[in-house]
Amino acid sequence: MLASLRSRCSSLPSHFTSPPLPSLLDQSWKLGFPASSRLFASSPSFSSAAGSYEVLTVPEVEKILADVKADNVIVIPTQNQCCWADFTIIATGRSDWHLKNIAQALIYRAKQKQIGAKHVKLPSVQGYNSKWIVIDYGKFVVHALDEKARVYFNLESLWTAEASTNDNSDKDLQKAFVKVRPINNSKKKPAKVSS
Amino acid sequence: MIQPQTYLNVADNSGARELMCIRIIGASNRRYAHIGDVIVAVIKEAIPNTPLERSEVIRAVIVRTCKELKRNNGTIIRYDDNAAVVIDQEGNPKGTRVFGAIPRELRQLNFTKIVSLAPEVL
Repeated sequence: MLASLRSRCSSLPSHFTSPPLPSLLDQSWKLGFPASSRLFASSPSFSSAAGSYEVLTVPEVEKILADVKADNVIVIPTQNQCCWADFTIIATGRSDWHLKNIAQALIYRAKQKQIGAKHVKLPSVQGYNSKWIVIDYGKFVVHALDEKARVYFNLESLWTAEASTNDNSDKDLQKAFVKVRPINNSKKKPAKVSS
Repeated sequence: MIQPQTYLNVADNSGARELMCIRIIGASNRRYAHIGDVIVAVIKEAIPNTPLERSEVIRAVIVRTCKELKRNNGTIIRYDDNAAVVIDQEGNPKGTRVFGAIPRELRQLNFTKIVSLAPEVL
């Protein structure tokens, strides 16, 4: 049960996103919408949100991070690696105050964008008073880290290097699923003896 | 179903190997902890030359339980072991990598940091 769920979960995103991925990499995240609409359409929750009002998009978040002068912003597309977020954005803050400001700016922009909407969707913020703040928008996650914490956790290496290992584990799992019928030796041998 | 005196494996590279639950954080006199709950635990076994030592009291989040986890869509998830991830008071993980499969309920319970370090999310 558990393994089948896992294989289904891992197979879904790769199945959906394998065609648009190279084109997106070429565009280096300018987000020409005709190309990327197909990608977002794969996730029903996001497309429905995008229809009426959308909580921030990736280029908007990049712009906000540039405005608040977050250092070393990296956007990693992770659709085919994990099934819970499409993009991981990592940024460095200079101090605790700077980290808080980054988080506040992201929330403020989300609020500003949804003024007048019936249901305001806000990202969840975790670890507001620590060295690592996570702002979770659902489809993508922004990590704002202290310099030391960034070196310590080394999230970039985790998300960029993991693609190959993850696939291998899935293959192993699928191999484990194949049912092999055991050969029944007890019945064959006497037949041979009689012939 | 984790209760005081339950032994748990450690699912990260913080340096602890085995924990024993001594208290469940939440309501007073709470009996059992499930996936996503924070417990106070004592380190029963640790890897030598790591910042964490034996008999140190730490906080940990439960990430896997033998007791099945039910979802609204009818899925049931059951793991082979009871495992936890060591965190500090602020909720940051002590280790830098999490091992094994992690349920996605942790993200709803505001442990996105652990989920983002995990190799596999169910």
